[in-house]
Amino acid sequence: MASSSSIALPGQLLGPASKFQPGPGTHIHQSNLYSSLLGVVHISQPAKAPGPTKRLTKITPAPAPAELPTVSVSRSGVSEKREVLPEVGNTVLCRVIRITPRQAVVAILICGDTVLHAEWQGLIRVQDVRATEKDKVKIYESFRPGDIVRAEVISLGDQANFYLSTARNELGVLLATSEAGNNMFPVNWKEYQDPETGVSEPRKVARPY
Amino acid sequence: MTDRRRINGPVGATIPLVFEDVEDYEQVATKAARSRAPNAVRKMYLKTGVTPSASGSAYLEIETSGKGGVSGLKLSCTVYGPRSLPRSSPFSPHIILSTHVKYAPFATKQRRGYLRDPAERDLGSHLEAALRGAIIADRWPKSGVDIIVSIIEGDQDRETSKTQGDEAWDIMNALSGCITVASAALADAGIDCVDTVAGGVAALVRDTADSSPSIVVDPIPSEHEKILASCCVAYLPTRNEVTNLWYKGDLPASDMELYTKLVEKGIQASTNANRVLLECLGETVN
Repeated sequence: MASSSSIALPGQLLGPASKFQPGPGTHIHQSNLYSSLLGVVHISQPAKAPGPTKRLTKITPAPAPAELPTVSVSRSGVSEKREVLPEVGNTVLCRVIRITPRQAVVAILICGDTVLHAEWQGLIRVQDVRATEKDKVKIYESFRPGDIVRAEVISLGDQANFYLSTARNELGVLLATSEAGNNMFPVNWKEYQDPETGVSEPRKVARPY
Repeated sequence: MTDRRRINGPVGATIPLVFEDVEDYEQVATKAARSRAPNAVRKMYLKTGVTPSASGSAYLEIETSGKGGVSGLKLSCTVYGPRSLPRSSPFSPHIILSTHVKYAPFATKQRRGYLRDPAERDLGSHLEAALRGAIIADRWPKSGVDIIVSIIEGDQDRETSKTQGDEAWDIMNALSGCITVASAALADAGIDCVDTVAGGVAALVRDTADSSPSIVVDPIPSEHEKILASCCVAYLPTRNEVTNLWYKGDLPASDMELYTKLVEKGIQASTNANRVLLECLGETVN
């Protein structure tokens, strides 16, 4: 039985699946939880519902599995070199490599809080740039090569690319360089402006957090 | 195919010349008998994290039998990845393993070329089969991992050069070492595995020309008169599963018990290697 913050080796028994939920770095075999990584064991208790529970007035599905503590094995503290794979729903930072009328090809640099070591390529299709007026979106009015973009992973994609979307207010271009080569600042939802020449360029601007 | 790009050393064995009086010569010429018990394996040294630039790496050394002129086994393994697949490859829902095993040119008596020969390719595919059973492949879709094992010293006796076809049997020891060292490097790289896989070898040997054959674990070919058959096992101890099994040699097809016994002894050797592996991984964390 693993206590919190102990070390697990691959294949080490962590506990029965009836008492824990599997987290990252673990797997289930014959209704037991085993570690699948070399790392530190973390057991996180489930968040308790605040206040006294209301008397049920309707029949709801039994929320049984959510009550269990989650056990996970993490590589943090063992090695900083742990590579992560972008997953659907993750927010990533990427650099635009090239644009075509139908899509922008980007290189994913940071996934969540982790800097990626490997080169993962992403794709922002024209229909995923923004949520409204999708038919009027033009890629060259949204991104330019070299821009740093915050985007969300919407699909594992095809053999080469992850599919990304910027169809939310906080997603879009974070850093842009003008044609004159200066760093620009955002002036509204659609434009970045060069502070030296005063020229505005269209972009899909991300709202600052 | 010959390697035309590099200046290769002379092909063929290079044996140190033995001049000296008869006593010394006889000492060299006689074969040392096996000093270990039949079910005892040689000592092993394993360390992870030896190559800083790789995602994961490990180094394995198995001691010599204690006799002069016999080299031990020295392996170095590097793991690169998980990383994205090349653009030309098709979509893969799981991780793609590619294993490369290469003898250093100076690892064996017979000088090896710089290009991979069929024996090395064979080792690579066996290693891949052994590791594939241990990895949880669908945790890493669309990615590939490269596992490269360099055999620095190939566990060969320099003196018994022409006496017997040693190479065929040495390859079994090399494979079991490759499996153990690759398993340590994979754990170091943080690739999800169901268990730690380790390799072990058992062999059916005959010590003198008229004695009956017996089974030993972790055989050194030069210590025995003849090796009749050998078996390399890759074994997951927690799961109690064999992920790769390789038989070589002449065994009577009717004697099923002999086959089972060889596998049993191979599993025993692999369990011993696994103990070293777990100890080494524990040290990695601390």
